[in-house]
Amino acid sequence: MSFFDFDPAPPQGRVGGHNASAPGFGHAPDPFAFARKEDGGDDDALDFEDTYDGLGTQLDEAGDAFNDDTFGAEQREVGRDFDFSGQTAKVADVFQQEQMLHHPGQQLPSSTLPKPATRSSRSGYENYAEPEYIPQLEASASIWGLPQKRQAAERPQPQGQQSYGAGAASSRKMMSLEEVEAAMRAQSRKPTTPQPPPHAHQLSAPPPIIEMAPKPGALLQQGYTSPPRDSQRPQLPSEQRHSGTRQPPPPEAQPVPPQVAQRAGSAQPPPHQPLPQPTRILQNPNRLSGQGQLVTPPMQPQLERSGQPRMEPPITQAQQVMRLSEEDRTAFLAEEAKRAKRNHKIYMLSKDNGLMTPQDKNFITRIQLQQLLTATGNVDDQGPEATLAEDFYYQVFSQIRGASRQTPHFSHFAQTYLFQTAGRQGTNRRGFRGTGDNHMQRMEQQVARAVEAAKLKPKNRQLIIEGSLGKISFSNAKTPKPLLNLKRQESGDAKSHTPRKAGVTVADRKATLRDVENVYSILMRMEDHERHLPPPPIEESAPEEIQQHMEWRQQVLRLNQQLWRALKVMEPIVPNSQTPHPFIAILSTPKGKKVVLRLFRHLDDQQRVTILTMIVIQLDTLDVIRAPVAHEVDLFSNAVMPALFGYVADAPLNIVIGLLGLVVDRVNVQMIVRTRIGVGILTMLISRAELSKQGVLEAERHQWNILFNQLFDLVEPMLPYLFTGGEPKTREGKSPDDVHVWQFLAAVGVGSTPEQQQRLVLGVKDKVMETVGLGRSIGGEEGEKRLAEVNLFMRAIGLDVGLLG
Amino acid sequence: MADPEDTTATSVNEPLDLVRLSLDEVVFVKLRGDRELKGRLHAYDSHCNLVLGDVEETIYFLDDDDPDEENIKTMKKQSEMLFVRGDSVVLISPQAPS
Repeated sequence: MSFFDFDPAPPQGRVGGHNASAPGFGHAPDPFAFARKEDGGDDDALDFEDTYDGLGTQLDEAGDAFNDDTFGAEQREVGRDFDFSGQTAKVADVFQQEQMLHHPGQQLPSSTLPKPATRSSRSGYENYAEPEYIPQLEASASIWGLPQKRQAAERPQPQGQQSYGAGAASSRKMMSLEEVEAAMRAQSRKPTTPQPPPHAHQLSAPPPIIEMAPKPGALLQQGYTSPPRDSQRPQLPSEQRHSGTRQPPPPEAQPVPPQVAQRAGSAQPPPHQPLPQPTRILQNPNRLSGQGQLVTPPMQPQLERSGQPRMEPPITQAQQVMRLSEEDRTAFLAEEAKRAKRNHKIYMLSKDNGLMTPQDKNFITRIQLQQLLTATGNVDDQGPEATLAEDFYYQVFSQIRGASRQTPHFSHFAQTYLFQTAGRQGTNRRGFRGTGDNHMQRMEQQVARAVEAAKLKPKNRQLIIEGSLGKISFSNAKTPKPLLNLKRQESGDAKSHTPRKAGVTVADRKATLRDVENVYSILMRMEDHERHLPPPPIEESAPEEIQQHMEWRQQVLRLNQQLWRALKVMEPIVPNSQTPHPFIAILSTPKGKKVVLRLFRHLDDQQRVTILTMIVIQLDTLDVIRAPVAHEVDLFSNAVMPALFGYVADAPLNIVIGLLGLVVDRVNVQMIVRTRIGVGILTMLISRAELSKQGVLEAERHQWNILFNQLFDLVEPMLPYLFTGGEPKTREGKSPDDVHVWQFLAAVGVGSTPEQQQRLVLGVKDKVMETVGLGRSIGGEEGEKRLAEVNLFMRAIGLDVGLLG
Repeated sequence: MADPEDTTATSVNEPLDLVRLSLDEVVFVKLRGDRELKGRLHAYDSHCNLVLGDVEETIYFLDDDDPDEENIKTMKKQSEMLFVRGDSVVLISPQAPS
């Protein structure tokens, strides 16, 4: 419309309607606007035709009707005051007040910014000087609860009242905060400064200065948000001061007439000069505690001056504290102390605040969580096997130790960890910052994603690029890249196995070693299988569980059979063979000896007795008896004997009889009796028989006696040679350990008839005397040991070393 | 897990299976740098890292004073337990019990 039809060159002397109005919106309305339409017909048209391209005529002039509306031309008064900021500032007051209501804790920042506001009064913001203006300030000041003790000037100020009403309302909520400040100030001031005497009277010259003091809050608030201000405040819409000058004060704003009056009285142009200083300091007495003391005195006069009761005085001054009742004061002070303590604590804690930005923390947390993930891996997926694979020896060790093997679920761990953290942070921050929770939520999501990613990752350990000949395998700490990728060929197994199975057991050393390894493999599988024992089925357990259990047991049986075959106990014994029986060959290796104790657990009784029998039958082919080597003998007696003894200790007499019968019949007793292992086995059998002889059938006992007599007859000629005869002299220079011989003699002695005992004594008399003599001459611990050994035997036949000599 | 007939779990499928047979046996190990070890094999891995017990190490070196080929000297060391890093292992041989 007219707005747009700008005519670049108006005809001389004439003012085009549009041209005048177009340049500025705020421009005064075109006085000729109405005339133009009339005379535009003749002259103007000609002129335009002649000199111009006639664009003007093409314009639609009809729309000009609303120009005035558009530019507000009708209202002549408008024009001068462009000061919008003034209005804004006024609104800002209101906003500030509201803000104060809602965020009482935030009054502090305003302390930093007051200067521009106060100073700005100089620079053309004259309304500072205006009477109406001050009331606002005062009203706002009420927020601070500063007592406004002006004597009522009789000119009521609607604005002030209204705003005061709001302020008063707010002041109540502000109580606690003001209390703090007041207390601080009071504490600092009380001891030092005596109270200055009350000032003269309200309307004296000084008052203006003082009078400004109560309003710092307002001033500061204004300054805080919008320094520039204007005298104009026409359109403050909803707030109290909305109709500052024009409207009569609404009745509800009136509750505090005296104050309004005070303000009015004080309202004089000059006062605002001294303002800035006191206000600022007043603002936050806590901060500038040092200055606070200096500044406070000027305020006090006010206080004193106003003798008028206050509805609800917020405590900002020491005097107010004084005025409180005793218990109130103590309560107040206690609260203050508590507060101060807490502030101090917060201060101490916050010393390092802000060292790390949230991003930093985020970053570090991520790193830590990722490390956790990679370190523990996805144990969840693979279950106990993974833990075993990770840390076999520890797991087995802790199993042996009976420690409960708990594999904490990582996901649980992560969750609790995160939740805890989140919870803590949340409670800490919820007060002031809403973003804390968000942050933690983000973190949780990140972790969840990381967990997911880590779970997915190991699944593609190999990358096979299409068309390539090989595959690329990835490695990480958990699953190292396999350097050798060899497949076990089942067919190869059969091939390598057949010759031995069919053949005549060419028990060369390598075969023996292979057998041992075989045993170990199966044994380890059995032990591994044991670890997967499913929970024992109960009546109401699901069929799958029962099924699982059944399968497990079947597998145990299968493995047992494998183990049994691998032991080759049942291989036929080839008499007079140059090569020992495969099982004996297994026992000839150190690792073969070590395995016995371990595998006995997995064998049933029948298998155990079979092994025992096999050992006893071929006792004289055992390496530890044929060609005893010290450490092999030690190993055998430490590893194999306990297993055998463990069985024999519970064996019934008939088994013992059978075993001893085998020894007597099939084995070169006179040879084995000179070896430690041989003697040990004989001792084992005899002593067990002695213990189990009671309470068995007479026939069995008789059988045993016969057998024992046979054995005794066989052993008797060897008695003098039992000692260290077949044993290698393990420790040169020291007489070998003969304790096993004495034990054997004792066992024999117990079971012997008196006549046999006599023969026994005769046989070993020399050795007994020698040993006793040696033991006595050596003396000390060693000697005692010798004597004790001999005594072992002597007691068995009813004698004692002490009787000798 | 395993098939029931798999009784021959330790049959030789890869070179290191042979080394396995020598577990807990005395082995002879030749190393780079003119060194030899003789000891009981406690453990090994796919890198030929070895753990040996009761080891006798033999080092062959030329006498600096007389750089004749004949003049090769040996030095022996005894170690109770030894970890041998696999990259220096040249060969592993079972040592027949003497």
